[in-house]
Amino acid sequence: MSEQSAVLLHQVKKAFPLHAGRALEVLDLDHLALSVGSCTVLRGRSGSGKTTLLNLIAGVTAPSAGTIRVGGTDVFALSEARRDRFRAENVGYVFQTFNLVAALSAIENVILAMMFADVVPQREQRRRAGELLTRLGLSERVAHKPAQLSRGEQQRVAIARALANSPQLVLADEPCASLDARTANEVLAIFLAVCRQEKKTLLLVSHDEAALAGADRVIDMTDLNRTEADRWSA
Amino acid sequence: MTIFTVAVKYLRGRLVASTLTAVSIALGVSLVVASVVLGRGIRDGFIAGATDYNLVVGAKGSPTQLVLGVIFRMDLATPNIEYTTYRDLLQDPRVETAVPIGVGDAFRGFRYVATNNAYFAASPWRHKTFALAAGKFFTDDQPSKPAYEAVLGAEAARSTGLQTGDRFYEGEEMAEYPLTVVGILRPTHTADDRAIFLSLPSYWGMNEVARGMAVKPLTAVLIRPKRMSDLPSLNRELNVAADTQAVLPSAVLLTIFNMMAVAENVLKMILAIVGLIVLLYVFVAMYSATMERRREIATMRALGARRATVFGIILAESAGLATVGGVAGLLAGHAIAYLAGLVLGQSGLVTNPLRFNLFELAVLVSVILLGTFAGLLPAVLAYRTEVAENLAPLS
Repeated sequence: MSEQSAVLLHQVKKAFPLHAGRALEVLDLDHLALSVGSCTVLRGRSGSGKTTLLNLIAGVTAPSAGTIRVGGTDVFALSEARRDRFRAENVGYVFQTFNLVAALSAIENVILAMMFADVVPQREQRRRAGELLTRLGLSERVAHKPAQLSRGEQQRVAIARALANSPQLVLADEPCASLDARTANEVLAIFLAVCRQEKKTLLLVSHDEAALAGADRVIDMTDLNRTEADRWSA
Repeated sequence: MTIFTVAVKYLRGRLVASTLTAVSIALGVSLVVASVVLGRGIRDGFIAGATDYNLVVGAKGSPTQLVLGVIFRMDLATPNIEYTTYRDLLQDPRVETAVPIGVGDAFRGFRYVATNNAYFAASPWRHKTFALAAGKFFTDDQPSKPAYEAVLGAEAARSTGLQTGDRFYEGEEMAEYPLTVVGILRPTHTADDRAIFLSLPSYWGMNEVARGMAVKPLTAVLIRPKRMSDLPSLNRELNVAADTQAVLPSAVLLTIFNMMAVAENVLKMILAIVGLIVLLYVFVAMYSATMERRREIATMRALGARRATVFGIILAESAGLATVGGVAGLLAGHAIAYLAGLVLGQSGLVTNPLRFNLFELAVLVSVILLGTFAGLLPAVLAYRTEVAENLAPLS
């Protein structure tokens, strides 16, 4: 099964250290597998470990225990520098608050992601970034700085940035939470469509009805995270 | 895009802050460079003005006053000696060249310097060369028949507006003895640029007291011996004499440079403090810029940027600011030195303030290294940025 899984988590725990040797456990997960090209939506209340789970899969937060494989690679068996490179080439990340670099234009923000990976040759990067932005309906906005874009446009740039290196896995942490409902629906529709077209494995944190409706699978954190389940049952 | 283009974009993204930081670096560097270039120019000016002759003979008194007054015209002229001193020295077998000098009053602030054409003669040992921009040198006339001809230094001519053929005098009492401009010198970048040269007979003729004197007066005689080994004996004999002293200009220069060194040391301390403040300013600017964009740094890390990459971006920004500020400061420093040279140059003290040398290269390299150093801690901060912690949603 692991050969067929884009993402495979096994007995993963995450605890954050507190004072006096105590620790706050936020995630205790027995098993999670995402099949290649699937669209999975994670939902759960605030503090249920959704973002922590995405960060663990992205390799930006180390688990306290367990193994995390992305595309068959044990992410935390890699050195940090190799893990960074692996993330740049294999994982796209869309944030709730877009997190675009204010000093860079839309196209430069997309190229920035390519700079950290060896996937797109340098001479091809601008063309590829332009194509992505065009697909996301931003052909007229490539030279605009984030401050000159609407929130919906900013999130579309962030989506283009996440897809820049053609990663097999795209993580999205409530990508539409800070958008109004109409814009959120538009952005989500484009996002899902592009991911489907490019056969990306998508793990999406969202409570949006459109996202839930378009997903192959919906996972509730109370079903996945034993810590969360224990909290609810207590 | 590379680390450097991202760094440049970041710097341009906060243009006002970046410009202010670069300007502060430029100000600090320009102060250092201007001080050093001017100091060097002043030293060069002193050396260029003083090294052609090995001995200056004048009336007893302060050796520094004699050299400053006769060679640099920066002090009051010392009392007179007799013309016979010059004549005796001219006939001395140990003397290769003896040049008489009479320092007189001034026309619009430009000193009259009486001498003969030997003063302008070229010799293989002379550093200074005189060339005419216009006209001719004055005639070596006879005391009985002064020609009242004047050759103007470049700055004296420029400032007074006098041209060849013009007649001039200062004060009604001198109207009877006007001088005629017969030549204008090219700039020598020494005190001679501010002098009005005339013959000794004209100088004596213009002075009522000198006119009546049987033995004519002189301010000093410039000496170059045939052999350097003759210098000590000449020096000793002229100092033993009741009414003359002989001064080695190089020894006086040493005294002047020692006096300058005290001021230079104070200046160095001030410049060191200025440098420290600029360093601190760059550090604060880079630190706050890094703190402000920890989220962006975390984003880049989440996109796959290695710690070394974000470290490099901050260092590149810091080095970029230091380079721009350093180069601007270097140019501004020379511009300040040039402008100051135009003012100080009227005293004939500054030579070639536009000359660049290895020192400036060392300053520039030091500024870039120090600027980069100032960015080191912010870069470490960026390097250590915790991704998940700084990516937490803003709420």
